[in-house]
Amino acid sequence: MIGVRVDRLTIRFGAFTAVDDVSFQVAPGEFITLLGPSGCGKTTLLRMLSGFLEPTSGSIHLDDVDVSQVPPEARDTALCFQSYALFPHLTVRQNLEFGLIQKRIPRRERKERVATVASTLDLDTQLTKLPNQLSGGQQQRVSLGRALVMRPGVILFDEPLSNLDAKLRDRVRIEIRRIQRDYGLTAIYVTHDQAEALALSDRILVMNGGRVEQSDTPEALYHRPRSRFVADFIGSANVIVGEVEGPADAGIWRARTPIGLLGFTSERQPPRAVTLCWRPEHVHLGDGDLEGIVIDRSFQGNYTDLTVRSGDVDHRIQVSATPLYEGDRTRFAIEPERVVLLEDEV
Amino acid sequence: MTRRRWFVVPLLLAPGLGLILALVGSVVVIAIGQSFGLFSIFGGGAFSLEPWSETLDRRVYWRSVRYSLQVGVVSAFASVALAYPLALWLRKPFQGAAFIGAVLKAPLLVHGLVAAFLYVNVISYHGIFNQFMQAIGVWDGPRRLQNDPGAVGVYILQTWKNMPFALLLLTGAVRSISDDVLDAARDLGAGTWARFRRIVLPLTTSVMQAALVIIYIGALADFSFQVIAGPINRMSLSQLMVFFKDRGDWHAAAVVGVTLMVLALAGAAVLTLFIQLIGRGWPRR
Repeated sequence: MIGVRVDRLTIRFGAFTAVDDVSFQVAPGEFITLLGPSGCGKTTLLRMLSGFLEPTSGSIHLDDVDVSQVPPEARDTALCFQSYALFPHLTVRQNLEFGLIQKRIPRRERKERVATVASTLDLDTQLTKLPNQLSGGQQQRVSLGRALVMRPGVILFDEPLSNLDAKLRDRVRIEIRRIQRDYGLTAIYVTHDQAEALALSDRILVMNGGRVEQSDTPEALYHRPRSRFVADFIGSANVIVGEVEGPADAGIWRARTPIGLLGFTSERQPPRAVTLCWRPEHVHLGDGDLEGIVIDRSFQGNYTDLTVRSGDVDHRIQVSATPLYEGDRTRFAIEPERVVLLEDEV
Repeated sequence: MTRRRWFVVPLLLAPGLGLILALVGSVVVIAIGQSFGLFSIFGGGAFSLEPWSETLDRRVYWRSVRYSLQVGVVSAFASVALAYPLALWLRKPFQGAAFIGAVLKAPLLVHGLVAAFLYVNVISYHGIFNQFMQAIGVWDGPRRLQNDPGAVGVYILQTWKNMPFALLLLTGAVRSISDDVLDAARDLGAGTWARFRRIVLPLTTSVMQAALVIIYIGALADFSFQVIAGPINRMSLSQLMVFFKDRGDWHAAAVVGVTLMVLALAGAAVLTLFIQLIGRGWPRR
């Protein structure tokens, strides 16, 4: 288990800055996710961590050793590719053994390690097969096994589940997390799927335009986003601007907004103009000082998604069951503890 | 297969396969027949082992066999060996890659005879190469390089002419290997040579095999390079065949012709087996 320290990492391709002054640390055994939309720089950052791209500036330390200029073959990292990248001419066993042979691991230890990983990943019966004889899920497990068998200091995942169907994705996701915990691996995972990131990670780095917008635990990111981008990207969010009227209670402030007076929490004195955010599922329907008209209703199975117009602002409300339909007028309330001040938008 | 199919399938194949069989088959049959004293161009002719026994007794024949085999094998391996690094270099697009690729493939458009003349001009007694070597002070005076007894000129010309063909085939094969696969190998600790040996070679074996066999067959039967730039102390099999024909000894020429065909077939088989045999070891160490 080793830790990772990234200091002011930047990479430019001509005039385009793909990763811009990114710094973060990963503790040994921690599972962090780089989350962001396509083109935000997360895969580029991962490729710098694995050594396939050389940073324009900044440094990468693995356990306090600067590896910024070390080639991939000499780094204590292992990468799980989005495409699996299995060697098509080699059997599953040979794929698993490939890295061990390169590292000149003795034959007996090689066999032991392959057997252990194959058993962990339920690949025992597939060892003599070629990759094209395996299902997508099995190929993904071979790719994971090929990295695990190396016992790397850091394991890197580049959207490893994106080619799997929804059910298989859930299963492999659980497997990845279990294996990472069992082996005590330091893991850096790249995805654009927020559900995947929330379910897997100890910590998430939300990236946008080559920069880290926010780094926090999944719970903190969800409940206390700092920017409109993070609030929107992680789950659904209603974001509104308002003007602070003054304190309402200890740590609670009142702001005048286009949908009415909203209470929100802030430990510090907020500025006059604020941007506030709340989750659609945190709204209580039926009573409260706020009101609106339902303009859209969408039944989603375990909840119903309502779009409500208050004044000239449309916002979403999610409730488990409701008798409301389009055109119905309703009152609603949002607890001040559920309304978050987007600090980076101030 | 139904009776109707037994009838229809050969009928459909007849225009293509039939023509090939008729043209190639007739030539092969006549060549083999002539090598056994049949189909004499001067009329008559009877089955005899004499052309074979006489030709096999000639030292010049065996020297030609050895020499042609050598030219075929060396040219094939040299062409492929030179084409691989170039194919890997041209694998990823870069500025000027298309131009470099086109220049490298230019020899495909130059006829063998023209290439041989160009080469002779370069290495002639007062040619560019001799003058260059003197200009840089390596040689004191001009040297005779033409028709060298080691057949270096023939190997150079064969490789120059055939390398672009190997490059053409190998570039496509190498480009079909995904970046991720090569990156994965690198990530697992494989350096440049290990990636080539354990990933690139096994994944391009069939193409390399095809290039080797095709170049070998062409170089084995070399005539034009040999006539203009080849050594004067030995003949290639093609040259020997023409030599016998010019003497009016068609039966001996047929023996050499059949030998060429047998060596082409056997050599191709041996090369294929050889690549398959060493290919078995590639996935391992």
